[in-house]
Formats: sequence, structure tokens, C-alpha cells
Amino acid sequence: MKGKVISLILAAMMTTALVGGCGTKTDGVTAEEGGNTNEIEKGEVQSETKPAAGSDEAAGNETAEDETLTVWCWDPTFNIYAMQEAEKLYQQEHPNFKLDIQENVYTDIETKLITAAEAGDYSTLPDIFLMQDYSFQKMVTNYPDLFTDLTASGIDFTNFSSGKLADSTVDGKNYGVPFDNGATIMAIRSDIVEEAGFTAEDFKDITWSKLIELGKTVKEKTGLPMLTSSGGAELILQMLQSTGATLVSDGEVYLSGNEALVEAIEVYKELVDTGVMVEYTDWDQYIASMNNGSAAGVVQGCWIMSSIQAAEDQSGKWAIVNMPALDGIEGATNYANCGGSSWAISSNCKNPELAYDFINATFGGSVELYDTLLPNAGVITSYLPAAESSVYQEASEFYGGQKVYADIVDFAGKVPKLDCGAYYSDIRSAITDAATNAVQNDADIVTEIQNAQETVEFNIGG
Amino acid sequence: MNKNRKMSTEKRHRLVGWAFLAPAAILIFVFCFFPMFQAILLSLQSGSGDAAKWTGLSNYIRIWKDKTFWQCLFNTFFYFLVQVPIMLILALVLAQILNNPKIKGKGIFRTMIFLPCATSLVSYSMIFKSLFANDGAVNHLLMNLGLTPVNWFSDSWAARVVIVIALVWRWTGYNMVFYLAGLQNIDYSVYEASYIDGANAFQRFFKITIPLLKPTILLTAIMSTSGTLQLFDESVNLTAGGPGKSTMTLAHYIYNISFVETPKFHYAAALSVFILVMVAILSAIQMKVGDKRE
Amino acid sequence: MSKFKLGISYVILGIASFFSVFPLYYMISGATNSSIDIVRGRMVPGTYLVENFKALIANQNLGLAMANSFRNAVLMTLFTLVVCSIAGYGFEIYHDKGKDILMNILLLAMMLPFVAILIPLFKMFSSWGLVNSWVAFVLPSVSTPFMIMMFRQAARSFPEEIIDAARIDGLSELQIFFRMFVPTMKSTYGAAMTVTFMNAWNNYLWPKVIFQKNESITMPMLVANLKSGYSVDYGMLMLGVLLCTLPTAIIFLCLQKSFANGIMGAVK
Repeated sequence: MKGKVISLILAAMMTTALVGGCGTKTDGVTAEEGGNTNEIEKGEVQSETKPAAGSDEAAGNETAEDETLTVWCWDPTFNIYAMQEAEKLYQQEHPNFKLDIQENVYTDIETKLITAAEAGDYSTLPDIFLMQDYSFQKMVTNYPDLFTDLTASGIDFTNFSSGKLADSTVDGKNYGVPFDNGATIMAIRSDIVEEAGFTAEDFKDITWSKLIELGKTVKEKTGLPMLTSSGGAELILQMLQSTGATLVSDGEVYLSGNEALVEAIEVYKELVDTGVMVEYTDWDQYIASMNNGSAAGVVQGCWIMSSIQAAEDQSGKWAIVNMPALDGIEGATNYANCGGSSWAISSNCKNPELAYDFINATFGGSVELYDTLLPNAGVITSYLPAAESSVYQEASEFYGGQKVYADIVDFAGKVPKLDCGAYYSDIRSAITDAATNAVQNDADIVTEIQNAQETVEFNIGG
Repeated sequence: MNKNRKMSTEKRHRLVGWAFLAPAAILIFVFCFFPMFQAILLSLQSGSGDAAKWTGLSNYIRIWKDKTFWQCLFNTFFYFLVQVPIMLILALVLAQILNNPKIKGKGIFRTMIFLPCATSLVSYSMIFKSLFANDGAVNHLLMNLGLTPVNWFSDSWAARVVIVIALVWRWTGYNMVFYLAGLQNIDYSVYEASYIDGANAFQRFFKITIPLLKPTILLTAIMSTSGTLQLFDESVNLTAGGPGKSTMTLAHYIYNISFVETPKFHYAAALSVFILVMVAILSAIQMKVGDKRE
Repeated sequence: MSKFKLGISYVILGIASFFSVFPLYYMISGATNSSIDIVRGRMVPGTYLVENFKALIANQNLGLAMANSFRNAVLMTLFTLVVCSIAGYGFEIYHDKGKDILMNILLLAMMLPFVAILIPLFKMFSSWGLVNSWVAFVLPSVSTPFMIMMFRQAARSFPEEIIDAARIDGLSELQIFFRMFVPTMKSTYGAAMTVTFMNAWNNYLWPKVIFQKNESITMPMLVANLKSGYSVDYGMLMLGVLLCTLPTAIIFLCLQKSFANGIMGAVK
């Protein structure tokens, strides 16, 4: 009996292996194995192997110019959707044009790019890929050969907000076309603050000390913390950015003695100590705290709105304002940025002219495209002309009739530049450690910042 | 004459042995030792890509000054020393119980206990994070027992304990599988004879099971050693190395300096070689102790 | 064994099983609830399974990922079992000083963090033009010191009399391996098969680097895709995770009898 089970499984494995071994490409296997799965899946397999079919076709009429571009990006409901819409738009003028969109999680895109660059083999790279803004500088500085300089590509970069554009600009050269916006917002549960006798308006253009004051009242009256946070250095870095701080410049690290940094960590500590802000170490619980209504608001990149909107029953109960500013710091504003991404063209691009033209006609120059992307995928643009379009002026029901998108684009235009050089991740990690020690273990802030300074210096000098 | 022929069969058998193991050995040499050799060369250079320069032992000297590395080394050894013994003993006990012919429903029990290591990392880390959250099930239980709740992920030692618990949970069933397979090579009549001799459960466990399972125990010990020193998933997904760097493992650190922070592949290679030497020494000790033919 | 001791055994097994099965329950409950209910902490199975499934197949190519994962894992398991078991047998049955030393050297191979050899390995396969082929997926991990050692340790308990008898009967050395050793060692093969299948199924980093096309998606990649966006659909994610876990669990359920039911005893 037991023998039979084993031999049965072995036999099954043999057959599959043979099929797999003989089938020239994945297509063969898919067809074979798809037969074993149910009908729905089978249909799915066939309809979704389009890219393969596409490339076969392209190989078939090789005499005609190949107008296929390969793209690496992630998230079918956001970035991939945006690329597909851009493809449709461009196909109106160029019927032979095709995109081969390869879905890759962002960390994997970076891993693959680094692997290719370190191995010195760029042949596996796509034509276009999407980069998170926070590592754009790191990648261009360390691996310039991965990228194509877009400065002279014909794309008009003045149409993008300068703060955002700075992320993908190295030594005055443009390496990326800004895509989605990560402007920092403070989302507020208007119904909760009203319970405490305030309106969402009261939270607009304020400083952190004012927020703590208001937050204490909210906590007293409703028992709820004013803000929820996912811990780590994200909020502190946004505070720093709102002052336009320079953390690294010309290989020099400016953490220790940085007043804005001391102030940011102090504010953070006070927020936690007074219970005005509650910290969650786990992202899923952080999201849950918004959806469950266990905090009256959150300070985060505007992309957090898609998670907030998942709680449909809270429609009409949210409002969006700008973030608080740091007190007594020179250059302090109510604006910062967290997240967002930009398109890059790889050095392996076979047809750069086509890629330039495609990007120029879509992400770099089409209000029409962004008008489709906002309502259908919630993509808030950093392409300034699009902000004037009527779609952006529409009132949002979820946010109680506020014209949130126009507001956010307005915020985005005012974001100062945070200068981390190519070392954003190193700095972020060091500041996280410093903040954790200061907040959790009451460690001395100045000493912790000194340690962070040394850690970053050690990392940079290697 | 007779002796000569015997010699030649023995020689022939030796050659057959080499032929049997050749494919496996060649594969390991090509796909592991060759890249490993290249990693050693990398560790003696600095600079990225083609612009690399020979810098001798400078990457190794850097290790001594790297505080994060020593923190990660400490963490990793903590996991190794605490988690591996607990897990292996637990796996042995479970395997021993499940090997008893009188137990009913063994197939179901075995499958259930094996499940954790088949469980996708995503769901398992989500569950552990919510169980050990500040207002999670574990803290509720502690409060009901009249104990003080613990901030599991913001206290260094508590976070390390969570990782140990997660590791034991995940890999005990996996190790049990090897013990179950190994126990099949012990004739159950040996145990039956021990009943007649009046041995109790502990005596049977220590006098029969452990000595006879020695080859398998050595196997799992070496596997767990290399597994712990390359530990990555839990550090990344459960605690993200935090609070601070107090739960970060060596493999996590190496990954970070290769792919997350400013890339330093040459230094990462030096750290890897360092780990290699360390694990090799540990395993050599284990082999010396455990790998003797009677 | 007294009833009391048997009772304790059941209690221990019961506790261990409870803790082990809990995540499976969590996945099933998650897969049948809507995302917002999961976020809000609902822990009882719901009625949202069909919607989650529809969302999953609209978002990801589930059938293809399953097929690829099966193909990869099956190929890997098959080659590994053949290559490693014959090597382990060779190391033990014909052991001499040289082979023991070689075994110790081979063990070094499992001690280097994979990240360290990732780039040299990638360089090697891309120079051979094997990027995107299953060969590149299988080759680096077909032969693992761990599997070799597992079969070597198992061969240690293989009775020498059987080999001698077989030799007298005129069987060749290869025949002895296939006709005597392989059938006797079902328990070891069963365990090795489960473990190799599971490792191949769950492998992420190397396949991700070496497979560059959507058509090569595997189940762990599918799960990773599900949580890559700004907001995550937890219901869909939990269904994906469940579907990624079940095959290994089922393989184990089918095989577990083979490595735990006293086959050696039957031979004697």
C-alpha cells in the first residue's frame, strides 16, 4: 500500500518531469498542466500568456521594426494599470506599439538591477523600469551604467514639481520621469475631532506644539490618540524634510549638531510620551488602527489614502490637511514627502528614441492619461499641468466634499528638498536606531544622534 | 593469487564508489565552490563593478571595527545556543511518541506537526506579529494570569525571545521528520526487549533512542547550525532586525549591505567568508564528536 | 505502556498539533473573509471565498504560477533524489579515508550565505545563455551536501550482508543500489522527497533573479506580488498564501506513512 503511494507519486513526478524536460518553453508545460486544472484556471492561463504570444508574433515579422518595450514594475492595481493605460493611449497613434510588462516586486527590481550591474551583464535589463524615489540617488551614484541620461531626451522636466524631480536628478542630469506623488498629508477623522470641539480646519497650517496641545484635548474628550504611527524613522524624516535639511553633502555627514533632527526626535518622543500618538510596530496593525477608528488621524505620504478608503463605512468622516511644522527651526514648512516613484530608462534599451517618445507622449506630457489614472487607480500625479485639469478639481465624497486632490498637488509643489545624497537608506536606518533608543529607553538624544553620525560615517567610508 | 584478486575487487569497489559520488561532487564544485572562490577574491577587493581594486585584507580589518556586525554575531549566536537544543530535543520527543505503535491517528498528528514549516512565511509572520502585539493574544493571556504584559517588539530581549519561539515553532516538525525516518532503522523489538528489562521511558530515550539515532542527530545538528547562522526570514519579516539592531542576524546584515544600504559587495563577501570559517569550525567539532563508525 | 503514559502522549501531541495548525486555520479564515474584516480582526471563517478567488485570478495568473511551481519542484526533487542518494550510498558503502575527507569538504558548501555566491552564480549562467531556463533554476541546488549526508547516514544502517549476498548472486554494483538499497530505504526517500519538494517550492531569491519573465512566475512570487502595492487586499493575500501552502502539506500527507511505518522491520 505504502509502496504504491510512493511509486505513484514518483511516476507522476517522472511524467511531469519528462513533459517539462521536453517542452521547449514554458508554454508547452502550461498547456499540459493547464489541462489538469479546472476550466476557469485553464481559461486564465491561456488569456494571460499574451506577452509570450506577443513576443512570438514580434519574432515572426522581424522585418518590420520591433516596437515592443519591456517594462519592470509592480502592483497591478496601480503602476501596472498605469502602464497599461499609457500603452493604450500611445497605441492610438502607433498601432504596432506594444508593452511587455513584467511584474516585479520593488525590492526584487533593485536586487535584479544590482545583480546585473555587479555581474557586469546588462543584457537582461528591461527597457523601462520603475524606481522608488528613495533609492534613486543610491542606484545612479553607485551604478550609473544601469541608466540612460534623459536630460536631452526631449522630455520637458520643468512640468514636474522641483522637490520631486530632485530625487531622480544627479549632478544636474535627469535620470527619471516622476510618476506618482508622495506628498505628506495629515488625514484627520473630522467626526472624532468634532467630538472634542474642534474642526478639521483647526489642524491646518499648525506647528507640532499646537498639534500636541490639540491632541491632548482630543485624548481627554474622546479617549483616542490623535495620531497613529508605524514607528521607525519615517515620520522623523518627513519632519526633517519639511525644514529642507541637508543630512549628507559632499561625503560629509551632518547629523550631529543638526537642530532640526534634535527637535524632530524630541517632538516624536513627546508625542509618544503624552499618548497623543500611538506607535504600532506592525504595519498591518497600523493600517487596522485607521480602519478601526482607534486613532483620530495619521501623518503619512498621500498614498496612505487608498488604505484609509478601504473602510467604506467611514466615508464622509475624513479630511486632509497639511502636516504640522517644527517649532523654532529655520526654514520650517508644513510640507514634506514620503514615497513615490519615477520611471527610468535602462542602458540596455534597444530603442531609446521609441522609449523617449512613448514616455514623452504619456507620463511626461499627457493630461488625458493622468485624468484616467486618478479616478480609476487613485494615482496622484506630480505632473503639474495635470493638476489644473477638471478631474483634480472634483470634490471627493469620502473626504466630506473636500477637493483633496487639488490640495495634495498644491502641497506637493511646496515640498522642500531633503538632501541625503546617495545615503538615504543608511541614514534612515541609523535614525531609526537613535529614535528607538531615545523613545523606548529614554536614552540621551544628543548621544544617540552622535552614535547615528558615527554609524553613517562608518557605512559611507567603505 | 587469491589475495591479489581480493585486492582488485576492493579497488574496483572503491572506484565504483567514486563514480557514484562524482556527479554530486562535481555539481557542488562547479555551482558552489567555484562561486565561493570568486567570493573570496571579491573579499580582497574594493570598489564596485569593473572598477574594483585589490585592497588586500582591508575588508577583514574593517570587520573588527564594525559594531553592527558584532551585534548581529551576538544575536545569531544567541539564537543558535538557545533555539537549536530546544528544537532538537522537542523534535526527538515528538518523534519518539509518534513512533509508538500504540498511538492512534499518527498520520494526522504527523501532518499537523509538520505543517508549520510548509506554511508560507507571509502568513506565519503576520500571525506572530499579531499574537505578540502590545494588545495581542499573548499579552492578554499574560494579564489573565496576573502577569505584566510585555512590549514584545520594542524590548531587545523580548524580541529575541519572539524569534526563538517562532523558530522552534517553525522547524520542530521539520526535524521530527528526519528523526521519524531515522527511527525506522531501529528495530522496534529492541524497545520491546527493554520493556521486559523494566527500563522506563527516560532510560529508553537516553539508552536506546539517542545512541541509535546518533547519525541522524548529527545530520540535524549540522543542518541547524548552518540554518541558524544563515538565518534571514525571521529577522527580516518578524522584527525587521529591530528594535535597533538587536534582533538582526548576520545573513540579514549581509543582505542589507549588499542590496538595501549603500552597496558594499566586497565587504559583504568578507563577512560571508568570515561566517563560513566560523560555521566550518563549529561543524568540524560536531563531526568529530558525532561522526564515528562503530 | 500504561494508559496514563499513553494519555500523556496524546496530550503532548494534542498541544503540539494545536499550535501547529493554528496558522492554517488563520489562513482559511482569512481566505474566506473580505480584506476589511480581516484588518478589523475577524477570526471566524466567512463567506467571501468566491470573491477573493475571483479577485485573485483577475489580479494574478494563478494557474500558471501553480503549474510552474509544480514543474520546478518536481524536476528538482527528481534530480536531487537520484544524484544525492547514489552519492550518499557511494560515500558510505565504499567509504575510505579519501571519501570521508571529501564529504567534510563538501559540507562547507552549505555554510556560505547564498547572497555571497548569488552574483558569481548569476554571471556564470548568464554567460552560458541559460537565464530564464529551468536548467539554471535546478542545477545550483540539485546536489546539496545536506541531502548527500542524509543518504550517507541512512546507508550506515544498511546491512552489509544484503550487499554481500547480492554480489554472490551476481548483481552489479549499480543493480545492488537500485534493487536492494532504493526499495529498502523508502523511509529516507520519503523524507528526502518531502523536504526537497518543500524547499524547491518555497525557494524565492534565486528563481526571482534567474527567471526574468512573467511566464516563469511561481507561487511564492505570486504571494509577494499580492503584497507589493500601497494597499494590500488581505482576503486575496490570505487565499494566495493558503494555495501556496496546501500543495506541500498534501505531499507530506501522502508521503508521511512511507517514512514512519517500520519498513526496515518488514525487510528483515
